Amino acid sequence: MMITGVKVTLILLAATTVTSLVLGTVIAIMRISRIKILRVLGTLYVEIFRNIPGLFWILFFYFVFPDLLPWGLGVKLNSYLYYPIVAGILGLTVDNASYVSDILRSGRLAIPHGQREAAISTGLSRVQQYLHVLLPQMFRITLPPLGTRMVHNFKNTSLCMAIAAPELTWATQNIESLTFRGIEATTIATLFYIFLAGIMVSMIILLEKWWKIDVSSISHSKA
Amino acid sequence: MIKFIGANKSFNNRLVLKNINLEIAKGEVIVICGPSGAGKSTLLRTINKLEPIDDGEIIVDGMYLSDPKTDLTALRAEIGMVFQHFNLYPHKTAIKNITLAPRKVRGLSRKEATERAEKLLEKVGLLHRRDAYPVQLSGGEQQRVAIARSLAMEPKIMLFDEPTSALDPELINEVLDVMVSLAKEGMTMVVVTHEIGFAQKVADRVVFMDNGEILEIGAPPDIFVNPRHPRTKEFMSSVFHIPVFNVNQEEDQDF
Ligand SMILES: Nc1ncnc2c1ncn2[C@@H]1O[C@H](COP(=O)(O)OP(=O)(O)OP(=O)(O)O)[C@@H](O)[C@H]1O
Ligand SMILES: [Mg+2]
Repeated sequence: MMITGVKVTLILLAATTVTSLVLGTVIAIMRISRIKILRVLGTLYVEIFRNIPGLFWILFFYFVFPDLLPWGLGVKLNSYLYYPIVAGILGLTVDNASYVSDILRSGRLAIPHGQREAAISTGLSRVQQYLHVLLPQMFRITLPPLGTRMVHNFKNTSLCMAIAAPELTWATQNIESLTFRGIEATTIATLFYIFLAGIMVSMIILLEKWWKIDVSSISHSKA
Repeated sequence: MIKFIGANKSFNNRLVLKNINLEIAKGEVIVICGPSGAGKSTLLRTINKLEPIDDGEIIVDGMYLSDPKTDLTALRAEIGMVFQHFNLYPHKTAIKNITLAPRKVRGLSRKEATERAEKLLEKVGLLHRRDAYPVQLSGGEQQRVAIARSLAMEPKIMLFDEPTSALDPELINEVLDVMVSLAKEGMTMVVVTHEIGFAQKVADRVVFMDNGEILEIGAPPDIFVNPRHPRTKEFMSSVFHIPVFNVNQEEDQDF
């Protein structure tokens, strides 16, 4: 059960890290876009998903979301063995993406105008400006808060116990109530969380080194 | 090559370019000077439409900038721009700064773009710094890489906006040298600068701007040494510390 717990937690972590980064990036780009309707939608997204607890969204995707779907699909989802995990991924993603987009947006604001002007004046298209000039810098500038956010998201995977997704915290709880070997289970879970968070932090530090860029250098030339 | 016809531009209802008429021939080197806020940068930035004008027309190499059908990417690919603060991409090495646009806009292969970039780095004397990040370069080196980055697009026109004014004095000449050799190769250049030596050496004409207007255009000695317009005189003597010497025939009694 502990092993399954670790597996499910890892799945939740891996899936939501990727999906929330992608969704968060899309929302961030919407919010800094020239097109007003995209900006409004992006802001609306952040205001809705950031201001309502992540746990609510997990419960929402588990209990409410299937009912909103066309009838057949909802029933199928409800009977799907792994639906708690899917609902957990959805809930964590929409929650975390709102923070990610906010962090990335602040990164965009920290890039001096000249960067885009240089890109424009060499003829790069808007998409190319984002891909090669703006986004790479947004991720570099915001790496520290983004990393913290991802560790936070990792801890939030434990919220999925509320919908009985068999992740580590749920497993620990279950072992305790079934076998009364809660102390051992809790110890293992604690060590695992610390260990994995440690790995995440080290990866972030490594990335920072690999990107070996003094972040302050990006905004040294405010014209 | 570049033609301004009655160009006007305002920011927040304030005219910053007033009825600009100017024609720049192929291969000409134009220096623009004038006090802060005169509109020099704005004028320069209208040439590649970083700033659109409100009315009038600008024609660059046969392209009408007011025409919505004008392909801006094609226009900008033909015009190199060098900025006061270099604006190198801090997350890319010198060589990658240079190869980005040729690869993405011109469609060069990585190999072709790298070869071209290495030639240009050699030309600006920085081949040995090809893998350095901008933070690891001095200001003068950064600006030379920025010039190479613009040249890599094989532009027909180069615009410079105070390319040396953010540099320590001892680094200015290495950048000016590159610009001088570029001018001698016949590049069409529009340069906002207060480097009088550079202007004397290579400028065909100097444009003096104040308050959004072109007040005077002439050969370098005419503008620097013997300006006609009172505002030009005032500016030259205050900024360049050039009192009105009168090396020329015309006697100027107010000195
Ligand atoms: N994006 C902008 N929004 C509003 N006003 C602007 C903008 N850019 C320039 N201006 C104003 O337009 C006028 C001309 O500015 P510009 O930068 O062209 O002057 P300049 O001659 O280049 O001055 P400097 O020597 O200080 O660089 C200034 O009064 C400036 O405040
Ligand atoms: Mg200026």
